[in-house]
Amino acid sequence: MTRFLVRRLLTAVLTLFAVSVLSFLMFFGLPRDPVSGMCPKNCNAERLERVREELGLRDPLVEQYANYMKGIVVGRDLGSSQGGRCDAPCLGYSYVNSEAVTDTLTRVLPVTLSIVIPAAILWLVLGVGLGMVSALRRGTVLDRLAIGFSLTGASLQLYFVGAVLLLIFTYNLRITPVPGYTPLFEDPVKWASGLVLAWFSLAFLFSAIYARLSRAQMLETLSEDFVRTARAKGLAKRKVYGRHALRAAITPVVTIAGLDVGSALGGTVITETTFGIQGLGRTAVDAVRAGDLPTIMATVLISAVFIVVANIVVDILYATIDPRVRLR
Amino acid sequence: MRLKRAAAAGGALALLAVMGACSENKGTDTSDDTTRVSTGSIATDPKDSMGPAAEVPGATKGGTFRIIRETKISHMDPQRVYSFAGLMNAPLYSRFLTTFKDDGSGKVTLVGDLAETPGKDVNGDCKVWEFTIKDGVKFEDGRAITSKEIAYGIARSFDPDLTGGPTYLQEWLADTPQYDTKWNFKANKSALPPGLSTPNDRTLKFEFAKPHCDLPFAASLPYTAPLPPDKDTGVNLDNAPFSSGPYKITKNQAGVETVLERNEHWDPKTDPVRHAYPDKIVWNFGPDAEAGANRVIADNGDDQTALAWNGVPSALVARVTGDAALKPRSVQGPTPSLWRLTINTKRVTDLAVRQALNYAIDRSGFIKAYGGEASARAVTTLLPPSTIGYEQYDAYPAGPTGNVDKAKELLAGKTPELVLGISDDSTELATQLKGNLEKAGFKITVKTIPTDAKLDEVGKKDNQWDLYTDQWAADWPSGAAILPVLFDGRTIKAENNSNTSYINDDAINAEFDRVLALPVTEQGKEWAKLDQRIMKELAPAVPLFVENGYYLHGSKVGGIFISSIFGYPSFVNVHVKQ
Amino acid sequence: MSLSGVEKVAPDGAGPVGEPEVTSTERKAFVGRSPGQLAWARLRRDRTAMVSGGVLVLMMVLALAAPLISKLYGVGPNEQFQELLDGNGMPLGYVGGITGDHWFGLEPRLGRDIFIRMVYGMRTSLFIAFAAALVTTTIGVVAGIVAGFLGGIVDTVISWITDVALALPFLIFALAVVPTVALRFYGPREEVPAWFQVTVLIGIFAAFGWTSTARLVRGQVISLREREFVEAARASGAGLGHMLFRQLLPNLWAPILVAFSLAVPQYITGEAALSFLGIGILEPTADFGRMIFQSIPYLQTDPAYVFFPGITIFALVLAFNLFGDALRDALDPKSSR
Repeated sequence: MTRFLVRRLLTAVLTLFAVSVLSFLMFFGLPRDPVSGMCPKNCNAERLERVREELGLRDPLVEQYANYMKGIVVGRDLGSSQGGRCDAPCLGYSYVNSEAVTDTLTRVLPVTLSIVIPAAILWLVLGVGLGMVSALRRGTVLDRLAIGFSLTGASLQLYFVGAVLLLIFTYNLRITPVPGYTPLFEDPVKWASGLVLAWFSLAFLFSAIYARLSRAQMLETLSEDFVRTARAKGLAKRKVYGRHALRAAITPVVTIAGLDVGSALGGTVITETTFGIQGLGRTAVDAVRAGDLPTIMATVLISAVFIVVANIVVDILYATIDPRVRLR
Repeated sequence: MRLKRAAAAGGALALLAVMGACSENKGTDTSDDTTRVSTGSIATDPKDSMGPAAEVPGATKGGTFRIIRETKISHMDPQRVYSFAGLMNAPLYSRFLTTFKDDGSGKVTLVGDLAETPGKDVNGDCKVWEFTIKDGVKFEDGRAITSKEIAYGIARSFDPDLTGGPTYLQEWLADTPQYDTKWNFKANKSALPPGLSTPNDRTLKFEFAKPHCDLPFAASLPYTAPLPPDKDTGVNLDNAPFSSGPYKITKNQAGVETVLERNEHWDPKTDPVRHAYPDKIVWNFGPDAEAGANRVIADNGDDQTALAWNGVPSALVARVTGDAALKPRSVQGPTPSLWRLTINTKRVTDLAVRQALNYAIDRSGFIKAYGGEASARAVTTLLPPSTIGYEQYDAYPAGPTGNVDKAKELLAGKTPELVLGISDDSTELATQLKGNLEKAGFKITVKTIPTDAKLDEVGKKDNQWDLYTDQWAADWPSGAAILPVLFDGRTIKAENNSNTSYINDDAINAEFDRVLALPVTEQGKEWAKLDQRIMKELAPAVPLFVENGYYLHGSKVGGIFISSIFGYPSFVNVHVKQ
Repeated sequence: MSLSGVEKVAPDGAGPVGEPEVTSTERKAFVGRSPGQLAWARLRRDRTAMVSGGVLVLMMVLALAAPLISKLYGVGPNEQFQELLDGNGMPLGYVGGITGDHWFGLEPRLGRDIFIRMVYGMRTSLFIAFAAALVTTTIGVVAGIVAGFLGGIVDTVISWITDVALALPFLIFALAVVPTVALRFYGPREEVPAWFQVTVLIGIFAAFGWTSTARLVRGQVISLREREFVEAARASGAGLGHMLFRQLLPNLWAPILVAFSLAVPQYITGEAALSFLGIGILEPTADFGRMIFQSIPYLQTDPAYVFFPGITIFALVLAFNLFGDALRDALDPKSSR
């Protein structure tokens, strides 16, 4: 187990390194000059050049990359135009947001977490639930209804579902409040009511995969010998399905869920935009549009961290759920 | 069986689609104030500059006013404010040397804000200006505002770290566009830039090398806001500006919200324009234009006291105009933001081709593609109708949909191949223009430019496009802030040009000098004449339309009008109905 | 690193498919039907599969015949009928401007015919989705077979590359890269042709989309490589190419086919998501994704504009999903019914 973890962490670090280098190179190729965004009108060429100099944009790429990494580990001095000393983990200063990138992240991360985690729970429960029901009631109306419902979700666009839900529930019926983010510990009711539409639209769209997957898996497991043996030995139906079959069926679901949650945490751009909530995804998109390099780098890195960590968590969970899997 | 479910789901969608689709659209009848013409003046009576501002009928104090906007305001540091939202927000928490008294009717008067009068031209040659600072004006900590803090504010606008703001004063004082090399703020923090002095605590003096008759106008921009040196936090002031106005910032989360609450030290008796009726003003960021408008239409809870800053999007115009209940909650008015199809005269050197473009243009179709007549009004002039002294004319009369035959005649069988540069968020406009101009015999190639980069790209002297859309909104309603900026060929540099037609005509340039030296009161008519002359002789652009402001607010909001200066909702009269 | 337990599981739950091959060789003597014929027979009996398949065929025919339809219909995809719009750019008349000439009405603002743009848009979207699915499946299959069969360092490297590709946020990269690419290849005065935009989109899907197929195939191969028939081939001295593509690949067709059929609708919606960010196919080329996205704000003012493209793309994606499911059922009878 320890050996596995060490090895996994090492590859994870290597992966993150590759991601950081790739994104650094890629975003440097952006057509937009990050400096020109700083003075929209009346900026002369000479002045722009001086700013570039000051930001180190004239240094060789390798040096810029090294400086950036140094900032994350030990912090660095960014100069008066970027708010001076920037402590570790220093992710740079954003001209567009007029603040240190770490400040931006600490603000938008809880927002994305608040959208994704409850939505993920919802889509897992909904998806696996629908899948189970349709597997156990195979061939009945219930089966078809469940699968039909989940397929409908999978065939729609989030911005379409979101727009329709908003129009019906918020603007016309006025049942749900205007979407928005309130910190959980400030007012849990407001927190939930402001995000509920986002959760449901995400869950509606995501649950299909889980429904299909858990249905197929459940059917396969139900036909396995150990289930039949357990039933033959007189174990109660509920116990067999609940304890043994479900456990075996849920393992692949965990794999997909881990990856989905990992990548969703990297930003739910479309959800955030549709519901007008400023989370990680929208921040990243705004940053790309504005050529805000430090913010782009930070958001890409943080979402990569989420995915990599989710991968490790999945592996560990896997071993916990299914004792047949050994972590080597 | 499964398919039946799908069909049922489809049926639900169909039902939704049918809602509201069964009435016939017979066309619109937009009747709003199209003929509004600006009259502007500089106050000569010092009483105009004195507070308090006349009460707004029916307005009461108290309550929270909210503004819903998609993105955060780019800057709040007064020395860096230059976006429209920033310019409308800044007067809430800061005061300037001068300001416009405006009620949205187009009649504006420039008055002193912190200054007792809108400036004194000491020698009558527009080179030396003096401002006397009012008694009783205070910062949010109760300290008195003197000429020293105003001078410090102007001085820090020379700091190259504090980018984004306008640069008129800096360039005029330093007498060069490279003002920050001429005078280094960081090395001289306790000194003042050349030409700026404070003979005493109540006097601020500008001495310029060249005449600048527009100074009283230029001093109305937020960079004349005062700041005590000990409160200067450099770039961090952007998130927490130090207040000299009726409100102070009590909470600011970029991209989420900005909360302004009453500054008890602001004295209404010193203020000629601001009322500051609401106790609290909250900017709420995030929702896009559709969401903002839908929220205000729903008029639910907090949104009853809200304004949708991003306006009524074109897709919702039919919804809003079709609902009589929304009429009292909507505010409409022309803005000074004028769109033109700029012709790059360095590339399109044939005047006949430029004139043919002016004849061929289908403004009506272009406006439909842009979002309709609720959001734009066709113009044939280079100056927007809100300019002081504006006169309507049409140098190339061709009707609202253009005259393709006349254009063909001018082209005389030629088929000029032109490249149209368009920002990638308005490609429909390019599609419309291409369809329109190709009917007249042009061959149009469309090139998209990333939206954020477009301004930089077309501002490069050697850019490769023949046509591009441009928009310009002057910082004050005088032709002086428009025509010389856009068409004086002597200002052309390698990058960052505003003269994107790259026109350089000696006779016209000489005219600019002549008119600029006239007293401000006589300039208006002359600019209008020059406008017509430029269009007739040079045709450097095709004037398209001025943007029309169309806003909705909640049922408990009053006093919102569209600023005659910037064309965005003004908050000075805003009040919340209890 | 190698976690065969995890990887063995196909993302879409298609179980190992080695068995039918073995059993059917035994069965051949009695019934004389290949596994492909068996699957086809099962598919034929599935009503859902037939109906959704029919819908798909119809849409593909419409898409392929777009220029012909345009000729018969008498309206081109870029023709503007702005004179049929009111001053605010909304179509005059009933239900979004539906008339005998314009069956589904007109687009607000530009006044183009919705029906013909849908036909052309379907062509763009289907082409992108099919091409992207084909490319990603091919890359994924090759990477998966190689990694799974060779194991060791090759497997480690390929798996690591997969991890990196998975860790990159797709939308952000697409947003950064797509607008840049055209600048590299085309001068400031050259129009970027539609085929180039299409190629870029397929390319970006290919760069990010191959990972799931690769993981799926790798897992399958790992479970297959110790089987007797592989052992036998190895013992008889078969070359690597023969082993990979003659021995292993034929046993992987079923999961690959299923993965492919489910990838197509994913790319249709994926392309629509890119349109949401403004980086899909640009004006004036007709494109389904962009059409849907642009129509959403008109939900209240011109529902017909939202309805026609919306219901069509919904039906298209749903049909693909249903067909994909049915195909899986047919190929792998154990997993359902």
